[in-house]
Formats: sequence, C-alpha cells, structure tokens
Amino acid sequence: MDNKKTASVIFLIIALVVSFIAGKSFSSMHIPEVIVAGPGVTMQKMLSDYFPQLKGTNGDAEIYILEGDKAGGSMLVLGGTHANEPGGYMAAISLIETAKIDSGTLYIIPRANNSAFSHNDAQEGSPQRFTIETEYGEREFRYGSRATNPIDQWPDPDVYVHAASGQQLSGSETRNLNRAYPGRSDGTFTEKVTYAITEMIKVENIDITLDLHEASPEYPVINAIVSHEYAMGIASVVTINLQLKGVDIALEPSPTNLRGLTHRELGDYTDTLALLAETANAAQGRLRGKTDEDLVIKGKDKMYVNAAKRGNLYVPFDENGHPLEERVGRHLETIKEITSVYTAKNENNPIIITNLPDYEEIQEKGVGFMLNPLS
Amino acid sequence: MQIELIFFIAMIVTFLIGAFLLKLPISLSMMLASIAGALVSGHGIPIKHLVEGTFGYIDTILVIATAMMFMKVIEESGALDTLNFLIVRKFHNNPVLLLILIMIIIMFPGMITGSSTAAVLSSGAIVAPVLMTMGIPVAETGAIIAMGAIYGMIAPPVNVPAMIIGGGIDLPYVGFTIPLLLLIVPVAVFTVLFLGLKYAKNFDYEQFILSSTNSVDSSSELVKSNVKEIKLFIPILVLIFLMLASKIAPQIIPNLGMPLIFLISAIVGLFTGKKVNFIQTSKSAVKSTLPVLGILMGVGMFIQIMTLTGVRGFIVDVALSLPSVFLYLGIAIFIPLFGAVSAFGSSSVLGVPFCLALLGKNEIIVAAALSFIAGTGDLVPPTALAGIFAAQVVGEENYFNILKKCIIPVIAIVVWGLVFIIFANPIGDLIL
Repeated sequence: MDNKKTASVIFLIIALVVSFIAGKSFSSMHIPEVIVAGPGVTMQKMLSDYFPQLKGTNGDAEIYILEGDKAGGSMLVLGGTHANEPGGYMAAISLIETAKIDSGTLYIIPRANNSAFSHNDAQEGSPQRFTIETEYGEREFRYGSRATNPIDQWPDPDVYVHAASGQQLSGSETRNLNRAYPGRSDGTFTEKVTYAITEMIKVENIDITLDLHEASPEYPVINAIVSHEYAMGIASVVTINLQLKGVDIALEPSPTNLRGLTHRELGDYTDTLALLAETANAAQGRLRGKTDEDLVIKGKDKMYVNAAKRGNLYVPFDENGHPLEERVGRHLETIKEITSVYTAKNENNPIIITNLPDYEEIQEKGVGFMLNPLS
Repeated sequence: MQIELIFFIAMIVTFLIGAFLLKLPISLSMMLASIAGALVSGHGIPIKHLVEGTFGYIDTILVIATAMMFMKVIEESGALDTLNFLIVRKFHNNPVLLLILIMIIIMFPGMITGSSTAAVLSSGAIVAPVLMTMGIPVAETGAIIAMGAIYGMIAPPVNVPAMIIGGGIDLPYVGFTIPLLLLIVPVAVFTVLFLGLKYAKNFDYEQFILSSTNSVDSSSELVKSNVKEIKLFIPILVLIFLMLASKIAPQIIPNLGMPLIFLISAIVGLFTGKKVNFIQTSKSAVKSTLPVLGILMGVGMFIQIMTLTGVRGFIVDVALSLPSVFLYLGIAIFIPLFGAVSAFGSSSVLGVPFCLALLGKNEIIVAAALSFIAGTGDLVPPTALAGIFAAQVVGEENYFNILKKCIIPVIAIVVWGLVFIIFANPIGDLIL
C-alpha cells in the first residue's frame, strides 16, 4: 500500500472512531430523565390521546393530571416548550412531584417539545445534562435545544411562513414550538405537536394556560408575564400581588403582530386564558462567557455582570447571578398567584393547589427538596 | 489579562502555526486550533463538541455541493455559453443598462433563497462569461459577482440576517422592503458601474462576433436553432421555477430545500444540451468544493469551542464595551469581522446585541442596516463563501485578488449602513 492509501485508511479509521464516540453521546440524549409522579398525580395521558398521529413519534409528550377531590376550574402548565430553558421545565417537574390539588384540575406537560430535549443547538457549546442535589441523592436532567430535533423535521425552509397569519420568520424558526401555534393536523412535525396541545385545551375546556419560559438577560421581555388581552384582568392582579411579595415582575401585553406564540394563538383560537412567564437564564444568552452545567444551575456569569454595569440588560445582574432555585421559585409563585386570583374571581370554579413551598423556602432549600426519590 | 483572552490567543497561535508554518489546509488548522482551545481551557478533547460544531453548517454544505453540480452541468451542456452570446448580442449598445441588468440577475437567486452562495454558483456562473467577454478583468468580474450575491442575500423579499436580528428582539419581518431597497439599490448600482463600466465602455462587439463565429464550438452555432436554445435553458428555468414555486404556492409545491432544487435542476440539465457525464461532473464539483466544505467544518468546531470556553462571550463583551462614541466604529468593524464565521452567525451573536444597544432608534431601519453590514461577513476569510466561490466561477486561483477589488464596495456598504443607523429615526419617519 502506498503512502496515500495508508493515510486514507488511517483517516477513515479515525473518522469511524470519532463518529462512534460522538454518535453514542448524541444518542444518549434520546433517553428521557425520570419524572417521579408525586402524591397529587391522579392520571397520566399522552398528547397522542388528543391527536393519534403523534403516537410513536418523538413529538408525543406525557401529560400529568392532578385532579382535586372537589370539582373546579382547570389549568394547563407547559414546561419545556424550549428545552434549553430549565427554569420552565424544572418548575413543571417540581409541580408534578410535589403539588396536591384541593379543587379543580391541573394538567402539566413538562416536555412540551419532547423532540427538543433529544439534542443540543450546534455551535452553542451547551452541556447535555445538569445535576440537581436532592436529599435522596443526585437527579440528572437534560439540557436540550430551543427547537425540534432536525432528525424529526428537516430541512428547514429558507423562510418560515406561519400558516395562520402568513408572518415570515427565519427558516430555523419552523422548528420552534412557540412559533407554530395553533398548529395544523397536516402541517410540519412541530405544527402537529402544537395542534395536539390546542386540541387538548379545547377537549378538556382548559380555563387557564401558562407557558413557562426563560429568556436571555439582554432580551427586553424578561422577569415578566405576557398576557393575552382576555387574561389581562387576572394577569394585572397577579403582577401586583407578586410585586407586593417582593417578586420583581412586569406585565407585558401579547403583541397582536407577533404570531405563532402561545399567549397570542391559544388566546385567539381557544377559550383558555393564555399567559406566558419569563425568567432570566444566562446560559442561553449571547453575551454569556463559559458555557457549562454550573452556568445553567448557578446562573452566574461575569460577562453579564459587565453588561449589567453598562446598562445592556433588562434585568438586574450581579455576582450572585440568577440561580435555578430563584427562577423555578418565581415560576411556582406565579402559578400559585394565578390560581389564587382566578379562584377569587371564579368562586364557583376554583383551582386550589396545596403542598407547594413558597418562594423564600425554594430559594433557601433549592429545587432538589421538591423532587422525589427515584425508586 | 482575562483568561478567555489567553484561550483565544492559544487558538489563534495554533491556527497560524498550522496554516503558515506547517502549511496544513485551513480546515485542519482550524480543527487543531479548536482542540488547542479545548485543551488549554481544561476540556480535554471534547469530541461531542467538535462534531456538534460542524453540524451548524450541514445545510450550507449541502447547498454548496449541489449548487456546484448544477453549475458544472449547465457549463458543460453549453447553456452558459449560449446565454452569454444572447445577452451580449442584445444589450451591447448600452453598457450601463447591461451592467445593471447583470447585477439584478446575480442578485435574483439570493433575493429568493437568502443565500449568497446559491447566487454565486447559479446566476454568478451564468453572467461570469458575459462580463469577461465585455472585457472586464477576472478579478473585477469575480468582485461584481461576489458583491451582487451579497446584495441579493440582503435584498427583499428574503433577508435571513434581518429575520435573525428581528427574532432576537421580537421584531416581525414586516416593513423591511423599502428600507432594504433604499440601502441596497444605490450601493449595488455604484458597485457594478465602479467595477465594470470603464472596461465595458471599450467593449469591441465586432471582435466578439468574429471570435464567436470562428470558434469551433461556438455559442452562435447553438443559437441558430431557437428550439435548441430554449431546450438549453430548461434547467435554469426549472431552477427559477422551483425556487419561486414553494414561496408563491406553498400549499401545492412543498418546500424541497435548496440542495434538492439544485440537484433536480442539474439532472434536468443532463438531457437538454451537450452530453454530460454526470458521475464525472459530480465528482469534479464535489472535489472543487471540498476545501471550502472542510473550512466550514473547521470553523464550526472553532465557534463551538469559542462558545464553550467563553471566548465568544469575551468578544461580544469587548464589542459592547466600546465607549458610546465608538459604538458605530464597533458595528463597522466587529460585525463584518465576526462574519468570518458566517453572516448569519454574526447577525445572531453581534447583530442582536448591537440592535438592543440602539433601542430608541427606529428598529426596522436599524435591523435592516445591521443586516446589510452583516452581509459583508461572507467576504471575510477563512470562510469568505462569496469570495471563494466567485473565484471558482471566474477561474481565479487566488481569491484574495477578488477580495481586494471588493474593498471599496464594502466600505460603501458600511458607510451607507451607518448613515441609515445614525439617521434611523428621520429616515423611518420619511419612509415607513
């Protein structure tokens, strides 16, 4: 064999070894983390129960149902619309593992875009997982992507045209769950998932829907509730109550010209009161420094401290950062306030959640104390 | 000294040693630089990250490979020569009109697809012989094609950098048409006339006709039969049709994706002109693009390690730390330079923060102007997609010769873009 052939064989072997190692690492992201149903969970369903086409696909997602002994209203909590926003889905998972319902029904979809949990965004250097300490040991959770895995939906068009409005966005947004509502039964993979969620809201007559998110600290809509106009009555009282409790939060109206988002389309196409909540996650920002598991959990970043000093941010950011317990605590406190205000306004149709720790307790004890043992 | 700066220096030094001292290909040098950055920052050799970084360019790589196949097929089928002959015969009396028409032709695929590479390798390949026939030197021809492709990428209706910047600040892609046209049209006309008019004025049409008729395989031979002529252009018409169809009637024509569109058009080209050996042509197309495809993969690894280690954040931090008087200078320098990664990457990583730093000014005008400046990133080495492929299209071995000719038009873009940013509010009041 001449030198050229030898070199080719060597490079081919290296390529195969690299492919094997990388492939093994990528495929490990398809194994879902365990969610331990808590004392309040009375039933489990799948999105495919509302749209059978999803059955057996990566778009099918678990729905945890917590039904109280007393009848009442219903609320849907969406976590994991964006799988790189752990404050949202860890709040949803904490609800599943901890909360009990006295009146009404709580529906929780912790991994709304299930496919997005199975990969990371290229060139973002994201960790695949992060670990939460609990009193029973460590629990591991995936840190996914903002968008559906291209394995499930590819190629992206040059331009994504939102079906219901004709709005144009960059092609990669075609895999963003929160640009695909209300969805289409014959649409893309992502549109089918949003269609299933919309169907579920209609079938179950969900009274309130809250979509839990996180945002880059430089993003203008942050530490905020975004509300559809029909939900403004509740959202405004919730905002004031949270501020009185020392949770600094703003209220933003859902823009009518920004289409495909939960707070716009679910409010327009269903009878639910559509809300969305945002906290500050440095790990998804453009200004962030070193990207690792620590950044996801502790939320500390010196580049963002610099940016805050320059006035580039829409949220305070100092050396303490915004740790996961703060972000999850904000979301859970928002949920408590929403149900509380809704119940006060609808005494005959209450939604009463019990067994949820308050904001200060979560900040003090961390997210882990709300999680159950694995076996 | 910040630790991220040390990582960055380690990466740059390794790249320079690889590329210039060891004379390794740019792609391998980028990979070694990425590994060096990972090692120095304590990440070992993170195979998952290195491979994941390359996936950022997988779509671009497929577009490049298939577009090059298309270009080679229409070149060998005789379609390019014939089109060249027809265009020159029709418009030789009016070089200004001809040059502006050529600029529009170059821009067209970019306007439809949002990709400068698609423009260079389709319409760029079509007009290259026309420009050179008119007496415009190789480097100037390459520069016109590269610049035209960038104008096309930024021109409406499809401007992906503007969509990316808008997406970062919840700004819908609505109302961009007029600002983008005002940004692009004057600079595009200036570019093509600045680079080409002095040569085109001296074009000897009689000599051209003589050389065409004397040539053994002259284009005019093919032009004699109208039927043949139309048949020759079918692959180009198929390409235009497929590019437009999924935009105009998305319910009927599904999104095929640019790679498939180029591939279908190339296959059609096998049956419409001179005989083409598809296997040989495909191999030659892929071989000619391999170095660039490798560079893209190397850059993908490089940016992933930069992000992982905090170097990317460090660069953004430095850019945004500039005193406000230097903010515009920062936009003029950092956005094009970061385009070495890609114009899209630069729009996301720097375009969005700069746009946020300029809130208070008309957001549509600012985002449009930032996207215009970001487009120049496709001329920045080592990726320099527009420059490298323009060089291949015109047969220029050293693409830096083309980049040199692009300097004045790039300065025009940056200055004109900054004028729009500085006066965003009055311009917005006037036109929106």
